[in-house]
Amino acid sequence: MGQSMNALVVYCHPVEGSFCSAMRDAAIRGLQHAGHNVSVIDLAAESFSPVMPANELQTYIAMDEEVPAPMQRHVRELRRAEILVFVYPTWWSGLPAQLKGWLERVMLPGVAFRLSPNQKVRPALTHMRHIVVISTFGSPWLYVKAVNDNGRRILTRALKLSTSLRTSTSSVGLYAMDKATSDDRSAFLARIEKKMARI
Amino acid sequence: MNVLVISAHPAPESLCHTLQESVVKVLNQAGHTLRHHDLYLEQFDPVFTSFERLNHTGPAEVKLQQFPELRPYVENLQWCEALVLVYPTWWSGQPAILKGWFDRILMSGVAWVLPEGAARISPALTNVRKLVVVTTHGSSKLVNAIEGEGGKRTAFRSVRLMFHPRARSTWLAFYGVDHSSENARTRFIRRVERKIVRALG
Repeated sequence: MGQSMNALVVYCHPVEGSFCSAMRDAAIRGLQHAGHNVSVIDLAAESFSPVMPANELQTYIAMDEEVPAPMQRHVRELRRAEILVFVYPTWWSGLPAQLKGWLERVMLPGVAFRLSPNQKVRPALTHMRHIVVISTFGSPWLYVKAVNDNGRRILTRALKLSTSLRTSTSSVGLYAMDKATSDDRSAFLARIEKKMARI
Repeated sequence: MNVLVISAHPAPESLCHTLQESVVKVLNQAGHTLRHHDLYLEQFDPVFTSFERLNHTGPAEVKLQQFPELRPYVENLQWCEALVLVYPTWWSGQPAILKGWFDRILMSGVAWVLPEGAARISPALTNVRKLVVVTTHGSSKLVNAIEGEGGKRTAFRSVRLMFHPRARSTWLAFYGVDHSSENARTRFIRRVERKIVRALG
């Protein structure tokens, strides 16, 4: 067993008991099996509002490194985390709005990035060791790669720029999920658990 | 042409807000019929609910009766021949309020149908023949290329497939707003005014 790390699972699905919630539980089991400390942010259960309010945007644009009060708990969790796991369904080729808005409101100046003295954007999530993306897709793999991969791109490319060069990113997906049999689904859950247990 | 403008920026003093006003002005002048939703002004709720998930493939009417506030968006989307989106690109995609507009309004029976026994969905918004995106990016074009231009791909590769099969798309994007001069921003506004009139001409 390797070194124990803090893992944060950010989970977004409106229906508790959905397959996505089983994916979340599989990820948690795997992480705990590997000895990591797991905390979970369940955006739907918290009724998280993903709409960036004008006053928070103003703070953002001013590059104030002050975290707005409603975001402080989530930012604290994020700063503690060395493993960041996203579990969500891919809709319209991207993140559900609730998760997209979580990034907008939480990945702030001073949290995700800061400006260097010569005004260049520099990463601030350099303590992050792993980013893992776990999602379901309605379409088959090839179609996802050509069209429907924009949620994962945000998390493993755009967000990756806010982390360290040593931060690893990886993703697992269940493709063509409407046609997946219950065997496919159980195999996918087992795969998630095994993958997380190896971190 | 019937044009639906959807805009999504919280700050009235923003470049996006100026762009949305310019777009509405020049399209009106060009003789188009416009309808406009400012999602922030209307306090659109972008969160796809458990009710919508559980009735995902059901008829639109079930969802519209549960959420009557969605009906004007649906009707205007079915009415328009051109859809114009004006928004800032955040984290390489549409702001949540607009992403959630896709999640909620592009519902079964409106944007797509899954006929009995069919293996895949068919587009239902064949009334839409033009899709124009006007957007601003804080970072440079290079950074956005590295990030993968997810927002552009969502609009042009995923959402557009629900429109007319020969729907034309137009990308009017400004990169590097954070370090831009007043002059460059004004030039971009003029360019958008020129190009959008031509795109919908």
